[in-house]
Amino acid sequence: MNSPAAEVPGTDRPAAAPAGAGTRRTLLTLVRREFWEHRALWIAPLATAVLLALCAIPPHVRVDLGDPEGGLGRYFDQQKVALFTLVQWGLSVPLYCLMIFLVSFYLLDCLYAERKDRSILFWKSLPVSDGLTVASKLLVALVIVPLGVFALALAAHLAFSLIWAARVALGNAPAVLSWDTLAWARLEIAMLLGLGLGVLWYAPFAAYLLLVSAWARRNAFLWAALPPVLAPLLERLAFGTRYLGHLIGYRMGGIWQTLALGHERILSHNMRLHSLGSLLGELNFRGAFTDIDLWLGVAVAAALVFAAARIRRYRDDT
Amino acid sequence: MTAVIEARGLAKVYGATRALDGASFGVEAGRIVGLIGPNGAGKTTALKAILGLTPFSGELSVLGLDPRTQRDELMREVCFMADVAVLPRWLRVSQALDFVGGVHVRFERARATDFLRRTDIRMESRVRELSKGMVTQLHLALILAIDARLLVLDEPTLGLDLLYRRKFYDTLLNDYFDKQRTILLTTHQVEEVENLFTDVIFINHGRVALSSSVEDLGARYQQVNVSAEAAPRARALQPFYEREVFGRVAMYFEGRTPAELGALGELRTPSIADLFVAKMQGAVSP
Repeated sequence: MNSPAAEVPGTDRPAAAPAGAGTRRTLLTLVRREFWEHRALWIAPLATAVLLALCAIPPHVRVDLGDPEGGLGRYFDQQKVALFTLVQWGLSVPLYCLMIFLVSFYLLDCLYAERKDRSILFWKSLPVSDGLTVASKLLVALVIVPLGVFALALAAHLAFSLIWAARVALGNAPAVLSWDTLAWARLEIAMLLGLGLGVLWYAPFAAYLLLVSAWARRNAFLWAALPPVLAPLLERLAFGTRYLGHLIGYRMGGIWQTLALGHERILSHNMRLHSLGSLLGELNFRGAFTDIDLWLGVAVAAALVFAAARIRRYRDDT
Repeated sequence: MTAVIEARGLAKVYGATRALDGASFGVEAGRIVGLIGPNGAGKTTALKAILGLTPFSGELSVLGLDPRTQRDELMREVCFMADVAVLPRWLRVSQALDFVGGVHVRFERARATDFLRRTDIRMESRVRELSKGMVTQLHLALILAIDARLLVLDEPTLGLDLLYRRKFYDTLLNDYFDKQRTILLTTHQVEEVENLFTDVIFINHGRVALSSSVEDLGARYQQVNVSAEAAPRARALQPFYEREVFGRVAMYFEGRTPAELGALGELRTPSIADLFVAKMQGAVSP
């Protein structure tokens, strides 16, 4: 490790590095720290990706795409591309489900655990602001882990395809997947956009978990789970209305309806497989990313994160 | 002398308890100050106020900064060690060095590794695998490597055996302390570290009961061990505390001269521990 003093010759006390460089270095260290403490964040997706790639190995695969003879050759080729993209999509779904689970528990734990084990007094003995600490946790949960999972899903699919191709070459698996670079790239882009959309849409939930994590003195899980369940119930009892329940329901899935507008039956058209590469063109990404509710949610999330940082300012081990 | 800490009228209320009740004190640069008080006297609250960990009322300046609004700047110049239990159990020794090196401009990694080499601590160990004494050594290694102007220690050797305690304070004095640095320390084991202090602040019920340099203590406070017969004569000089020791009465006086007291019995300078007991007991039953 370089001595920072060497970079500032002629001073007996090393002056603070330029603010930008110092902050970047601190943020990088804070992010590394999160992966030291929460090892499940990288071990679980990595192990899952390896398992998914190995799904190409089991013997005795029989895929019935219909009879390739009898004038259906063109149709048969389309089916093989469609099946290829379906595998590409299918391999990423378990990883994204795992990610939602991991990130939720991580967000709920990250500011709570440091008070439970009293290590907050150590972290706070170092020149790191509460804002930067909270930002590093949000960065891990909403940017680094999602991008890492995206990359792992991509790698798992490539490994799967390689293993499968090798088996086909050895004559030990049917040649039912046909690589189509354009369809592959279009589906990857669609999934990346979908991931970004999901991160923005669910940011208020993420920020809420972070806030509970900073605030709860014990039973962070209960404090996180009870209000969304009890508040709509109380609203019904007190006013007989259901606004909160509808709001929460809408924030759960609303954006996907905007995205899939007019394409509710995307997977199958006329009972046959359809290449998922066309999703990029068919889905309403423009409409979803310009949805006012999406950005209102982001604003709410920003306010909640700000509150979490303020709460951590005067939280200690008590 | 420049003031490192200036506190005036610090107050902090937890529910019905007044943890700090108008405490005022000052700490000058290059001193080792003992903040001493019984349990619940407000020591930890005072330290937390100094470190910007708790809101409070009153005036407080630490290294010229207000801990309430300038905490981030302050922590570049201040180090603190709460007690042995605060290093996270999952942290590896090498990660601890990487982390502090990554966030602190004034961290000199070589100093920490030099110190750790002289201990049984291995780089790949996790904190949970270390004994309590070793965790304290690790924390001390991190602190030794940070070039800070003020070091705040709250019961740093709590629960350690005598060997570790002795080593801890020896290292602090020999490898860390110099005239540019200031150490503020609370401990229950006053007898063990009283030779370390250059200044003491006694705190009780959230107020400062005594604040003095150790040199001045000898001039201000006297202990006389008088025989039972001489006791009434000595009491006329209004000791603020007395106790019986082996058939004689140890009496503690403030602001008397050796000429006044010498004739009464054996004249001594009270130890900090004795003076602390005298002051605290005296405050309860004057």
